[in-house]
Amino acid sequence: MTIPQTASEGRGPLLYIVLFVLSAAIVSALRLTDAINPGTAYLLFIASMGFMALSVRAMVRKGSPSRASKAIRRYSKGMLATSLGYVLGLGAAITLDQRFDIAGPLAFVIALLPVIPIFGMIYVMGRYLVEEQDEYLRHRATIASLVGLACVLGFGSFWGFLEGFELVPHAPGWWAVPVWAVGMGLAQAWMSFTDRAEPEADGDA
Amino acid sequence: MKNRLKVLRAERNWSQQDLADALGVSRQSVNAIETGKYDPSLPLAFTFSDVFGMPIEEIFLRAKD
Repeated sequence: MTIPQTASEGRGPLLYIVLFVLSAAIVSALRLTDAINPGTAYLLFIASMGFMALSVRAMVRKGSPSRASKAIRRYSKGMLATSLGYVLGLGAAITLDQRFDIAGPLAFVIALLPVIPIFGMIYVMGRYLVEEQDEYLRHRATIASLVGLACVLGFGSFWGFLEGFELVPHAPGWWAVPVWAVGMGLAQAWMSFTDRAEPEADGDA
Repeated sequence: MKNRLKVLRAERNWSQQDLADALGVSRQSVNAIETGKYDPSLPLAFTFSDVFGMPIEEIFLRAKD
């Protein structure tokens, strides 16, 4: 998941966030093109989440004690925990589904394994928007989440039509979350880039 | 909306971070407002007014002014 930026953060957290987004996008592309099997994609995605853990650690080291950075630290830790829960729940659900003949209520419960962390992500995002006292950072987080949503709607609809014309393989619906996360990450990275690119900021950065 | 933040900062020899600390916001916020990328809310505009000790309309100006 993506992490909003504060003034006190250096390049460390941003670098790790970009690395996570890039690695997740590459793994997603490889899987969607059948270049790697689901198990390999799962392991690579878990490995890419190491960048997230590094970004949170870098952020905590560089964070200021302001209220805004406290909200970001809570958001970062919450997103890290729920993202790990999502990946582990997704892997467990897929593995159990493939190896056992699961049906009925048990299948419903197993399907909830990755979904509950997703509800957690939504809660963490909502709590951040409530707790963030810096209105510009809150504005950026809102824009990033809207870009993530636009990516899900746009890519999902486009892929659905491509599937309908039998041009691409079927993509499970759970790809919505990675696409949302990548969209948010790209939006935050772009806004950080444009913030740094402002000439007036050079002397004060 | 235009603003005189850069001039007012220069008069006080404040960096964007100094102003951000006084306002209780991030440096990105000050930079975004100063460069006109983001218009502050009315409560934040009042905080600017308090920090600089002058009316809001002497800090922020309508684009046509």
